[in-house]
Amino acid sequence: MRDSLQSVQISKVDSPGKLLLQLKGIVKGFAGVQALKGVDFDLCEGEIHALMGENGAGKSTLMKVMFGVQPPDSGTIEIDGHGKVDIDDPRHALALGIGLVSQEPSLVPQLDVAQNIFLGQTEALSIVKRARFQAKAREILKPLAPQLSVTTRVGSLGMAELQIVEIARTLARGARIIGFDEPTSSLTPAERDGLFSLIRQLKNSGKGIIYISHRIPEVYAISDRITVLRDGQVVANRATSEVDPDELINMIAGRRLAEELHRPVKPSARRDGPEALRLEGVSRAGKLHAIDLTVHAGEIFGLAGLVGSGRTELVRCIFGADRKDGGTIYVNGKPLEVQQPSDAKAAGIALIPEDRRKQALVPVMDVERNFGLANYGQYAPSGFLRLKQRRQDTERYIEEMAIRPDRAGVRVRNLSGGNQQKVIIARWLQSGARIFLFDEPTRGIDVGAKFEIHELMRRLAKEGCALLVISSEMPEILALCDRVGVMRGGRLVQTIDDCSGLTEDLLMKYASGEVARL
Amino acid sequence: MTNDRVRQVSNATQAPAVLSEKKINLEWIRSVSVLAGVALLFIVFSVLTNSFYEPANLLDILLQSSINTMIAVGMTLVVMTRGIDLSVGSVVGLSSMIAASLLQQNLLLGIVVGMLVGMVCGLVNGLLIAKLKLPDFIVTLGMLSIYRGAALIYTDGKPIYGIDPIFRAIFAGDLAGIPTPVLFALAIALLAFLLVRYTALGEQIIAVGGNEEAGRLSGINIDRVKICVYAVSGLLASFAGFVLIGRIGAAEPIGGTGFELQAIGAAVIGGASLFGGEGNPLGSLIGALTLGAMQNGLTLLNVPSFWQLVATGAVVILAVFADQATRKRQ
Repeated sequence: MRDSLQSVQISKVDSPGKLLLQLKGIVKGFAGVQALKGVDFDLCEGEIHALMGENGAGKSTLMKVMFGVQPPDSGTIEIDGHGKVDIDDPRHALALGIGLVSQEPSLVPQLDVAQNIFLGQTEALSIVKRARFQAKAREILKPLAPQLSVTTRVGSLGMAELQIVEIARTLARGARIIGFDEPTSSLTPAERDGLFSLIRQLKNSGKGIIYISHRIPEVYAISDRITVLRDGQVVANRATSEVDPDELINMIAGRRLAEELHRPVKPSARRDGPEALRLEGVSRAGKLHAIDLTVHAGEIFGLAGLVGSGRTELVRCIFGADRKDGGTIYVNGKPLEVQQPSDAKAAGIALIPEDRRKQALVPVMDVERNFGLANYGQYAPSGFLRLKQRRQDTERYIEEMAIRPDRAGVRVRNLSGGNQQKVIIARWLQSGARIFLFDEPTRGIDVGAKFEIHELMRRLAKEGCALLVISSEMPEILALCDRVGVMRGGRLVQTIDDCSGLTEDLLMKYASGEVARL
Repeated sequence: MTNDRVRQVSNATQAPAVLSEKKINLEWIRSVSVLAGVALLFIVFSVLTNSFYEPANLLDILLQSSINTMIAVGMTLVVMTRGIDLSVGSVVGLSSMIAASLLQQNLLLGIVVGMLVGMVCGLVNGLLIAKLKLPDFIVTLGMLSIYRGAALIYTDGKPIYGIDPIFRAIFAGDLAGIPTPVLFALAIALLAFLLVRYTALGEQIIAVGGNEEAGRLSGINIDRVKICVYAVSGLLASFAGFVLIGRIGAAEPIGGTGFELQAIGAAVIGGASLFGGEGNPLGSLIGALTLGAMQNGLTLLNVPSFWQLVATGAVVILAVFADQATRKRQ
């Protein structure tokens, strides 16, 4: 039943289809960066058009514009049958036939499948209406997932089924354009294949599909055409069959990532340092199960895994942001009792959390004060601030790390993601931390700054710090780390001491549980 | 290649510099519009009445606003942590009753214990909010009732007459022609301003209100900061209570009723954001003077005091509305 890779590509060639959606010259800026700098994008009937790009390239902003979450600053959107439109909000987008299956399904767990599919279209469901909607829901689901009962509560469904419900919901509104935003990020390989055959079904019934992903093999398996965004601009819009994977990597990341990926990995070059951080049986009810782990001084240890595998929970427990229920943390060989973040800080541990704005920065404060946030012990030992000294130190970091704009008095919310991250790293460098816990250190950061952050991390390791790095970008793990641990379901399922033979594919398989523990 | 990289980054960050200036403008507009409002108020009242602008009356406004200024400074610190203290009016009542009763035995005892009572009231608020993670609004609303009840229970609802004359000279006297409450209020506002500007605690107050989680993950002791601001708020409320009983010459258990609204109003007019992270104790001084000037002017215009309550409430809501509107745009 499932199409093979070839047949998909052939079908593309002989069915160009009519134009469903056309975006021209879309410009969108946010407090900080020009996220889209004049982007063109179009989509035909019966086409799967992949949208690719690094985090921060403008993918999600373009999606937000397309689905009415945010209006563009300039540029036009034209939809077949409606002409040029201004999309006010996601409801309006749905009415125009554009639906989005988002990364994290926005369904109501307390309601059943049918109710979710028709959510917002019905008021006060009477019993008669309910039966009618259930019949309709069954009809929509029949070709997608006949086994799924429409009276099941959505809260009890798995990720793959949730996506099916989301797809059904967009179809129920008569969507002709369906966007998928990283739909496979929490699916097992088997579920992913199921989703792909579903997407092909949609395509064959004449829908236009926008497929957002940064996974190159997937894009080759499913798409007809690829548009690549980099730094808010379209760098390619080509038929999938005409693009070579190496070329694609180059287009997505610019030359440097390809260089970095291909540079020789020195297996476990820095593992001989003394033990800096050791975990023994660290547990947290329902989240973490007896994690054992050692990170040495001078080493970058990567933590790979799917979203929800417990990686963030683990570093938060080490740092004392959440309480652990069991196990021991050793720092430099000595057990450390961590009750709260200040205990971890005192032991020389730093956490650079995944959500900078929510967890690391005080947006109303300027760069200098944000830099000083973890360093009141140094800058105000008596309670009164040593402003001059702090200003000097801030300016030194601004210069050394090339933080832009290069003024200590700028409010930190006006900095780009990369510069914000540098301020946070500077804060912890100044605190004298020797163990750095990085949670998605380059998420949402543009490519140029990303490499600066990577260089900084390598420098830290070289200077003898121990780094524990969470990343959902496998290339980042492969490029940075000396050793890698893979987490799944709150357990550390695999530790790879020699990364020389490690590939993105293999990591994915460990993370999704396709390969049994060796 | 490194140069290349740096150039790329600096290109990407040109825009923010411009944006930040736009935002500074927005804040500037905000403070200018407050000052413009105050100026307008003064002009209108000066035109409509004969005595508003006379020095004696202006000094009177300062005196009348001094109690509210003291409470508003404490309120500003609380609001800056994204909290609220509704119990201040009752703390005024309770601490001034206890002080008045002890003053009859010993001046110093009355002052010290009175201030301690205010501080302990604030500490209890802070402990319940920080340690038990109870909502500030509910805790201080409950305490508004409890502290008031305690003040009434203390003398079975009876007022205490006969405040020590030395006490009155200190807290409601004159120094070189200037009323001491005015001097105290100015000193308190200035000290709080210096606290915010030049101490770790001051910045931590902003950090807690601006982003509590970021503060916590930077190793700041959030609970301590919260307990501190509520304790200071209580302490300043007891101080305001001293001025109140000093001026009246008697202590009433219902003294200070409704002061919380005046203080919140002064704080917000003065630029404190109920969303936390922003505020200025000197601004709350301006805010208190604005409310004081308005009430004074309305009195001169023979507007009944019942209507003054309506006007005060309306101005406070208006100030909060302006705060919401400007914050949202950011």
